Amino acid sequence: MRKTDTTGEYAIPNVDARVASRPDELPMDSDAFAGFYQRSAPALRAYLVRVSGNTALADDLMQESYLRFLCATRPEGGEVNYRRYLFGIATNLLRDHWKRPRAGCIEDVPEQLLAARDELSHIDTQIDSQAKLDPAMARMRPRERQLLWLAHAEGYSHREIAEITGLSAAGIRLLLFRARRKIARLLRKQIAADRRKA
Amino acid sequence: MFGGCSSDNELAQALKAGHWPEGCGPELRAHVEGCASCSDLVLVTQSFQHARRESEHALVCGSPSLLWWRAQLRRRNAATERVGRPITIAQTFAWFVTVLVGAVFVASQYRHGLHWASWWSEIISPRSFHFLPIGSGQAGWNLVLLISGFGVLALLSVLVVYLASEKS
Repeated sequence: MRKTDTTGEYAIPNVDARVASRPDELPMDSDAFAGFYQRSAPALRAYLVRVSGNTALADDLMQESYLRFLCATRPEGGEVNYRRYLFGIATNLLRDHWKRPRAGCIEDVPEQLLAARDELSHIDTQIDSQAKLDPAMARMRPRERQLLWLAHAEGYSHREIAEITGLSAAGIRLLLFRARRKIARLLRKQIAADRRKA
Repeated sequence: MFGGCSSDNELAQALKAGHWPEGCGPELRAHVEGCASCSDLVLVTQSFQHARRESEHALVCGSPSLLWWRAQLRRRNAATERVGRPITIAQTFAWFVTVLVGAVFVASQYRHGLHWASWWSEIISPRSFHFLPIGSGQAGWNLVLLISGFGVLALLSVLVVYLASEKS
């Protein structure tokens, strides 16, 4: 007998203790997962595309994120918690990806490299990029992109971002303030340049 | 100093709920006009929300049923690997014991001049199953064989019990 959790934003079948105890069976059935995927995949892909600046990489990481999500023991709660958990997995995968070839820190990734990737990603017309935001995002550091997207696009609080990224909530407040100030300056420059052209 | 504006939270809530600017009072709107931090917040949040709305209509590749199937396969493989681990350990241990016993046997035979025929006839003769008085060479051999046999049997029993408990 499956229990249904109705406390979350959407009702999703909860983990059945008997089924979950079997290591070879997934605690979410195919239909429930299909619904969750349809609702969460566009947001997760947008996050990965904007932060990584690479659509092919974003697609790979998205698939791996869902696989790990299905194989892992998920937190209690409804779909809101599941989404946050999924974003956490994706964030860890991004960090692992950046660490792998360089054996360095996420902050060491040069913005120019990511900016070049962004230019390539514009070829992909599946995501209609915003003319002002993309050039500004290309000049931000990867960590700043993550924080900005999670805070302003996904609407997560500092505490929730801390859970997703593994940083401290106090540190996030400072980093986010600086990132916001930096991107606002870039956006205003972009707007002024557009006005001059017009 | 950072984030130094008392209206930040109120404004962030209004932006998140989509109440900005129509749903906000004239005081807050006037404040945002003159506050650099709040105007940054409005500009950035609106830009990101717009980008987020655009991305919602994007076509996402990949099939959820395929992902679900792949996850099931991965989980089963992990379970198989978990179950197989103690068996691998037991097999390694069994190989180690076998090789050790073989090495001891070969070494002892080498030291005693490889009298295979006489050793084997002693083993199969009914006399070998009786404990002879200590001091006799053949009795010592029989005792060693008996003890090592029991030892191996005990080890195997422990392994069987361990494997059975792991499987259950």
